[in-house]
Amino acid sequence: MAEQSLSGLTDQQAKEFHEQFKVTYTAFVGLAALAHLFVIAANPWW
Amino acid sequence: MSDVAKPKNPEDDWKIWLVVNPATWLMPILLTVLAVAIAVHWVVFAVGLGWGA
Repeated sequence: MAEQSLSGLTDQQAKEFHEQFKVTYTAFVGLAALAHLFVIAANPWW
Repeated sequence: MSDVAKPKNPEDDWKIWLVVNPATWLMPILLTVLAVAIAVHWVVFAVGLGWGA
């Protein structure tokens, strides 16, 4: 059995998945930031 | 144990997927994020900062 990672993914697969994970996470943070700006514009909590 | 190379982030971030298999753990991760979001909204509304506060 060749050298296998703990998760079973190869370096290539891990890098490939991480690229998509970063895109999705960036979109999530962007949307959350936008939502917070709307709340601040409508009704600041301080 | 001390001779294990220290990761350099964010360039080594991808290596998490060599330990955590997303085929198993992606949905639990996303559902945990959802649970945190629901909890935060719950508290914000509970302390009276909801609509029209």
